[in-house]
Amino acid sequence: MKLKPDSKVLIQGITEPLASIYTARMKAYGTNIVAGVSPGEGGQQIHDLPIFDLVEQALAVTGPVDTTIIFVKPYWVLDAALEAIAAGIRQIILVTGNIPPLDIVCLLRTAEATDTLILGPSSSGIIVPGSILLGTQESEFYTPGEIGIIGQTGAIAQEVAWELTQAGLGQSISVNLGKDAIFGSDVRQWLQILEEDDNTKAIVLVGQPDCGWERLAEYIVSAIDKPVVAYLAGIHSPPDKRLGHAYTMIAYYLSIPVDDADTYQHQIASFKQAKIAIAKRPSQIPELVAKALKK
Amino acid sequence: MDLLEYQAKELFREIGIPVLPSQRIENPREIKGLLLPYPVVLKSQVRVGGRGRSGGVRFVENTIDAIAAARTIFNLSILGEYPKVLLAEAKYDAERELYLAVVLDYTAKRPVLLGSGRGGMDAEAVMQHMQQVVVNQEFSPFYGRHLAIAMGLQGQLIESVSTIVEKMYQLFVQKDLDLVEINPLGVSSDGKVMALDGKIAVNDDAIERHRDLELLVSKLADAKKPPSSLKTELRRLNWSTKEGNLGIICNDTSLAMATLDLVSEAKGKPCECLILGEDIPTLHPQQLESALEQLTQSKNLKAILVNILGNAAYCEEIATVMGSYLQERVEKKTAIGAMKIPHIILRLGGGNLDFDVDRFPDLSIHAIDNLDNAIERAIALAKLPAKTS
Repeated sequence: MKLKPDSKVLIQGITEPLASIYTARMKAYGTNIVAGVSPGEGGQQIHDLPIFDLVEQALAVTGPVDTTIIFVKPYWVLDAALEAIAAGIRQIILVTGNIPPLDIVCLLRTAEATDTLILGPSSSGIIVPGSILLGTQESEFYTPGEIGIIGQTGAIAQEVAWELTQAGLGQSISVNLGKDAIFGSDVRQWLQILEEDDNTKAIVLVGQPDCGWERLAEYIVSAIDKPVVAYLAGIHSPPDKRLGHAYTMIAYYLSIPVDDADTYQHQIASFKQAKIAIAKRPSQIPELVAKALKK
Repeated sequence: MDLLEYQAKELFREIGIPVLPSQRIENPREIKGLLLPYPVVLKSQVRVGGRGRSGGVRFVENTIDAIAAARTIFNLSILGEYPKVLLAEAKYDAERELYLAVVLDYTAKRPVLLGSGRGGMDAEAVMQHMQQVVVNQEFSPFYGRHLAIAMGLQGQLIESVSTIVEKMYQLFVQKDLDLVEINPLGVSSDGKVMALDGKIAVNDDAIERHRDLELLVSKLADAKKPPSSLKTELRRLNWSTKEGNLGIICNDTSLAMATLDLVSEAKGKPCECLILGEDIPTLHPQQLESALEQLTQSKNLKAILVNILGNAAYCEEIATVMGSYLQERVEKKTAIGAMKIPHIILRLGGGNLDFDVDRFPDLSIHAIDNLDNAIERAIALAKLPAKTS
């Protein structure tokens, strides 16, 4: 992951209402946005940025770009991402959500073949506090520091950041994996990225019971040396729909009692067994992080 | 959203998966005009499982029996669902029954072919013999042959079953489906295959680009408007209790879920949890007003917890709406006389904003920016009677 303060950033779908709001905020935070793309609106300008009809035309002017952030409407996301990959961009953040799952399957096949990192769909992106803002996170909750946050939910990860900030524990990075059921880079990939990140001393995971953390505790024990604190929001809400392994889903359709190996009780138990701290509430996280850092 | 069996079979027929001759029946009287030769199977068109066991599938030998059976099935609720349509179908003698499905594996992030050599109503047996083949790259028929072999099929059956799988996969991709299932796929004594029952689940996010599916879904009893791709409407967390006394409003689903956890852990009694449409924050102030209005109408409500996370400008906007809403209530109350106004706990996280509660000396308004304290206070206040004047 290339995340330097001067990394070049492109915005696809820059004239969408959300893109316009957040492009202004990202620029104000110091993110080096070099251009926008919006077919049919090439030649115009928005927030002092040139708009191009094609990604390729944009890159011809700006030179290679490290990251593109995609805000186009759901049915155009696959096309926009493939266009970016074809133009040589290797880091893609999908802010748009509710994308047909088979579009994502198709995108991931191409991304894997080209070694492209996909974040999202429905991701609020990445923030490196004090340095770079990529996406729609609220920068006001963050302060520079040494805690990395990986969120696999909505805004509750920002509540966690706010708790850390108030307790004087700044953050090295916060990444949001998105809320769609099928998505690109996952929690294991990001744990690995933060494990190798020199600015991160401890990692906070924020998820929800159905976010697919089966056997994650084992992975953390075997592959991650930095202290990890986890929090699951929503253990009292019924799951909307079981999405996971094909077997589990079919068993569910056939109304066979599903093996509860992946329920949250089991997940929590496996974290406890692996001696990974689990917070009961957001306000408990700073204390657990401080304790883990002392060890 | 699941389609009905007859709708699934129409799609099967279009793509070339063999199905039996059949006819839709919307009224028992239509049985007289049945074009199928007896014996015939009448099947209740409901989307819940287990209709065979509950008497929703009947074999009939003649018109008189058929009319009686049709009446019975129309009046038979299966897990609370009454059929609007029956499907009359030719009878089929299967020597063997198989299970086939194409579904997306969210963990593998790929479509998966599933097959069991033991299809039919015994779900446990189906699962016990289930085989799977992950479709890693672009589909090619060999994936289907792999599945057929894994299912223990031999000879001619390998080719005929993998052809069905190929067509199921085509349908799955062409129509952006969540699930295509055939259970059972009947195999006759001369090795012919026939889709005897079928299930198709359409994907809510993809349906708008498939006009034909939209049309089918609109005929369903509980047809809902497919959710728009942007979450712009006021929504409720899929959960509520009638006895609860605490209403909750949040501006994000995960925040709402966490709030519900904290309230439940502290033995509070939430009645309803509303979420302002997440994707377009500029709509929130207006939605907050209708959320407050909606909650005030629930019967046992004693207190409302408004838990909002946002930047300073956003919180200020929320506070302004809150202020003018309360002002309006106060004026109404003065005009009408006695009127209940619940306790209101306003938590504006991250905004560093003081809400001026002194503006409403007669109301029970509490601005608390610490989440734990706000929840504790909300639960305590919900136990007290609301202020009446």
